Amino acid sequence: MSNILPLIQNECIKIIKKKRFYVVLLVLLVLVPIFTYAQMRSSELSRDKFNGDWRLELQQQITDNQNSLGSDRIPEEWKKYRLIFVQQLQYYLDHNVNPKEPNGVTFTREFMDNSINLFIPLLIMAIASDIVSGERTTGTIKMLLTRPVKRWKVLLSKMITMIMFVSLIIFSTFAISYLISGAFFGYVGFNIPVFTGFQISGSNVDMSAVHAVPQWEYLLMQCGLIWFVAVTVALLAFMVSVLVKSTAASIVVMMAALIAGTILTNMASAWTSAKYLFMVNLQLTNYLAGTPAPIEGMNLNFSLIVLGIWALVSVVVSFTVFTKRDILN
Amino acid sequence: MNSSKWIWRIVSVASIATTLVLLVGFIYAIKDVNAPQVGVENERPSQPIGEGVADSMDKKKEYKIAAIGDSLAKGTGDQTGSGFVKRSVEGLAKSSSKKTTLLNNLGINGLTTDGLVKKLDEEGVQYVLKQSDIIILSIGGNDLFQGAQLLSSAKGKSGETTNTTSTSTVQDVTAEKITSALPKASAQLKVALEKIRTINPDSYIIYVGLYNPFGDMKELKVVGNEAVTKWNNVALTTINKYENMTLVPTFDLFTHNLKRYLSTDHFHPNAEGYQQIANRIVQGIE
Repeated sequence: MSNILPLIQNECIKIIKKKRFYVVLLVLLVLVPIFTYAQMRSSELSRDKFNGDWRLELQQQITDNQNSLGSDRIPEEWKKYRLIFVQQLQYYLDHNVNPKEPNGVTFTREFMDNSINLFIPLLIMAIASDIVSGERTTGTIKMLLTRPVKRWKVLLSKMITMIMFVSLIIFSTFAISYLISGAFFGYVGFNIPVFTGFQISGSNVDMSAVHAVPQWEYLLMQCGLIWFVAVTVALLAFMVSVLVKSTAASIVVMMAALIAGTILTNMASAWTSAKYLFMVNLQLTNYLAGTPAPIEGMNLNFSLIVLGIWALVSVVVSFTVFTKRDILN
Repeated sequence: MNSSKWIWRIVSVASIATTLVLLVGFIYAIKDVNAPQVGVENERPSQPIGEGVADSMDKKKEYKIAAIGDSLAKGTGDQTGSGFVKRSVEGLAKSSSKKTTLLNNLGINGLTTDGLVKKLDEEGVQYVLKQSDIIILSIGGNDLFQGAQLLSSAKGKSGETTNTTSTSTVQDVTAEKITSALPKASAQLKVALEKIRTINPDSYIIYVGLYNPFGDMKELKVVGNEAVTKWNNVALTTINKYENMTLVPTFDLFTHNLKRYLSTDHFHPNAEGYQQIANRIVQGIE
């Protein structure tokens, strides 16, 4: 174990020096202000419409959704979503809590929620997809393997480094989003109550387990779940990176899988065995918020197990392939 | 080499710290979803909704309008989607010097008096009503012409405007059904009106009277007209008891103008019909 630490150190310095991490930060610094501005405009618009009273806005939202329930043109599946949504909104209204109180923390919460299945994995890939195949593209992998170090140790050091950066990326996403949106909406809101624990059975919401948690705690839980998802995606990208020679190809493969996931979650409710695919299980924060899972029979533990198995398999594949394969260029 | 050392130190410490924090969050999340701790709820003192917010607005300065009721309040059948609510708000803004704002339109397709009475118990609805100076109510059509509404609104919405619409509604709406629904529904109407009055004693309540959408069908003309008249009478008896409450008649508007004012679903008014109702509402307020 003693000689793995220098390897990790080496990898970390490489990532920083190669400016991979700066790319991630730059993307965040460019995109977050755009989202913040869009959010600000939309909240300004609704403020004008409803005299700045969120209760009126919420009530109108409930009414509009109820109206659409009566329409025959809307698929049953969507009706179920809306019915659940209406019940949750009603709960917020009854408890006099604004679910969308505009402040930096709420913005961050929603931003993290929306970026779990595509945006954060994308950022992760900037590092994970490059970490092995990048060495092969440049040919430096030979240098690395001619050293008197076991191959699995080299790979393990890369994997550990990657997970370290996964944590850093999630933290940076949170920090940047909070700092920038806070400048627009104010830096308060850590103690606002958020309801969690909506249990969905059919199209009804069981409110018995609903409880309020302060927003900081909600964010912490949310980031924890995002971290798990991100690690899984990173390990998968890592495997692809081991299997595929070029960085570009490994990014394309991972992106294709993730985009397929978002399309599938939108339409695959009829194909139930799709729930064993990792990309359908990425929306872990939905279980926290009480949004119904895309496919019947999915719950948090199920998704965690599915993701865990995928992650485990990709670790095993990565190591067996990397230690056995001939390195040719 | 020195900078590398610093990079390593910062990166390693930061990443280990964040990983630990995120792990804690992860475990918390699993715990919370699987075994939610109930009882922390309601920690926040929930201020009674509506109080303090519904300040006694100087009515001379501003009209705050809310609408509640069925598809007519919502504006179904109006191609522009405005319905009489938006139209009367616009009309009022034009004709009076006061600022007119529409707080909420709580119209829901297919709402019956039963549904309305239940809805009035919701805090969110009460909150809206408490704040409004003018409350426009439209209800009852679905009680009397049950079945016809669901069918025709679905057809009208999807834009399938075939002639079968009117014939199929006739089968659904029979004379017996109309008359049998009358006593219970009108009692519920009374309850609803009284409820709104207690929720907001100061507002001006406008009840939009019913018309007979089947006036051009032999089988239903007489029964329909009778039922609608009776209904409007019952509504008026309740309304007369209160100050600041009025019924805006629509029966006469539609009787001989069904072709002009009804939308293609042969149940809801069209844009022009809604405009006529809105005109009357505005006239009543001025």
